[in-house]
Amino acid sequence: MKTLRDIALLYRRSFVQTFRVPVWLAISFSTPLLYLALFTPLLKSLPGGSEFPPGINVLEIFLPGILALMAFMSGASAGFSTIFELQAGYTERIRVTPASRLALLIGPILSSLTWTFFFMTMIVVVAEPFGFPIHIAGLLIAYVLLALLMVLFASFSIAVALLTKEINSFAAVVNGINLPLLLLAGILLPLELGPAWMRVIGHFNPLYYVVEGDRLLAAGHLWNTTIAEGFLVMVPLTALAVVWATRVYRRAVS
Amino acid sequence: MLEAHDLTKTFRTRKEKIEAVRGIDMEIWPGEIFGFLGPNGAGKTTTLRMLSTLLPIESGRAVVSGFDVHKSPHQVRQRIGYVSQLGGSDRLATGREDLLLQGELYGMGRREAERRADELIEVLDLAEFASRRVQSYSGGQRRRLDIALGIMHRPDVLFLDEPTTGLDPQNRANLWVQISKLREAGTTIFLTTHYLEEADALSNRLAIMDHGQLVAEGTSRQLKQQIAADSVVVSLQDDGAGPEGAMRLLQEQDFVREVSAESDHLRLYVDDGVTALPRILRLLDQNGMTIKTVTLSEPTLDDVFLRYTGRSLRDAGQPPGGKDPQ
Repeated sequence: MKTLRDIALLYRRSFVQTFRVPVWLAISFSTPLLYLALFTPLLKSLPGGSEFPPGINVLEIFLPGILALMAFMSGASAGFSTIFELQAGYTERIRVTPASRLALLIGPILSSLTWTFFFMTMIVVVAEPFGFPIHIAGLLIAYVLLALLMVLFASFSIAVALLTKEINSFAAVVNGINLPLLLLAGILLPLELGPAWMRVIGHFNPLYYVVEGDRLLAAGHLWNTTIAEGFLVMVPLTALAVVWATRVYRRAVS
Repeated sequence: MLEAHDLTKTFRTRKEKIEAVRGIDMEIWPGEIFGFLGPNGAGKTTTLRMLSTLLPIESGRAVVSGFDVHKSPHQVRQRIGYVSQLGGSDRLATGREDLLLQGELYGMGRREAERRADELIEVLDLAEFASRRVQSYSGGQRRRLDIALGIMHRPDVLFLDEPTTGLDPQNRANLWVQISKLREAGTTIFLTTHYLEEADALSNRLAIMDHGQLVAEGTSRQLKQQIAADSVVVSLQDDGAGPEGAMRLLQEQDFVREVSAESDHLRLYVDDGVTALPRILRLLDQNGMTIKTVTLSEPTLDDVFLRYTGRSLRDAGQPPGGKDPQ
């Protein structure tokens, strides 16, 4: 009960403060739009586009990847605020209150998640007139899968921020991990287009399962083994990351 | 109100082991301001962070407001306020919003938090800027808000870590007044500082910390009396014999507690400077030594510090910007 109240309080703080950084709002929305506007045309005229199933709109392949990218980036960048809060002494001040440690972690994450959902929805709505078919049920399940992805990487990112404590090490660690994960997930283009060895490595990347499941869900499939695999990989990993990051909050942070 | 027994903390890095706190014992009574004085790097902040649940206690035991810090951190958190050197106010929030969040995190209802916030805005004189965002505050304004955040939930004990570092003299004086007011209102305050004047002006009792240990403890008056009460600094005309003769002579006098030679002058510690001074002058004169200058000073905490650590506090710190380990 106390934990829920603390989560609500810290959620509200983060949510309200997001409005106070309009630049962040603008960039969060324009980045996926730029991908759609400036990357999709390249796909359409890709020579040997035969790799795509005939008759399918490239947006159906590409847009779910963009949604996954948004969830991933929103999660992975969560630690930047943590670094600033650490340096302003805010983290320490909040750690000395009796507030639930889980709430310290999850309150702000849920606020970012809300904003991410908002922007994802905007992108879907924008893409619809360009030929992206909206399958509501599938999309809703995809949102759940992407929420797990976002919470997983946000927890990870915040824990790394609390441990590294300063921006350079933090950025190095997070970027160093992000890039290979992104490239080996088929997030922009499916790994099926690439050689077999890429797919083999991809199977060791949790992000790969999310992207695969997410594409099927967005196409209107509600359940099959690929989607199930996505959840089977993400649920325990996310739980683990949340437990770990909460422990880091509980332990000493200078 | 607060007790610590044999508190220790060691930080280990790959290269070295830093014993930041080496066996601290102390007791703080309700309603007093306890000053914790020491140079940067003495281990003050580390001690404070252990007492306030932020850093695990490595060995030893601490009880704050009736609860063991290690076993019941939650109960301790509910009863203490902590204002770090950095403050911790929320830059994108307004001062009032920040106070409300703080109150609510301590379990106050919204109404109660609003009442308390308004009260503190009044008491700490925040009205002028409480509805603006913290990022626009001056250093002094931010510090006042930090303290308001620390006492929002009416803690039994308030920890203030170098509250006036970085403030200009006017803001410092202003803050001293506010801190004194808090004590009058019954708050027990644990204050660290590396300013002698601050420890002297604010604290009922104080402890001097150096290299992770408490080297002295008592009221400012007691500490000053423990060392020779007054000091007399005499510099002599160089007669070729050096100051040894004068030193020997003065050491034989029973009103002189201690004599030390420092570069070109002698420092004497005496019980009562006003009566000792004429005797010293007469004695040196009778022995044919010519006095160039003489100064008499009442003891300061710096003398106390010098006495217990062998260094002057003003020289003991690290370069500005140096912080206590962790």
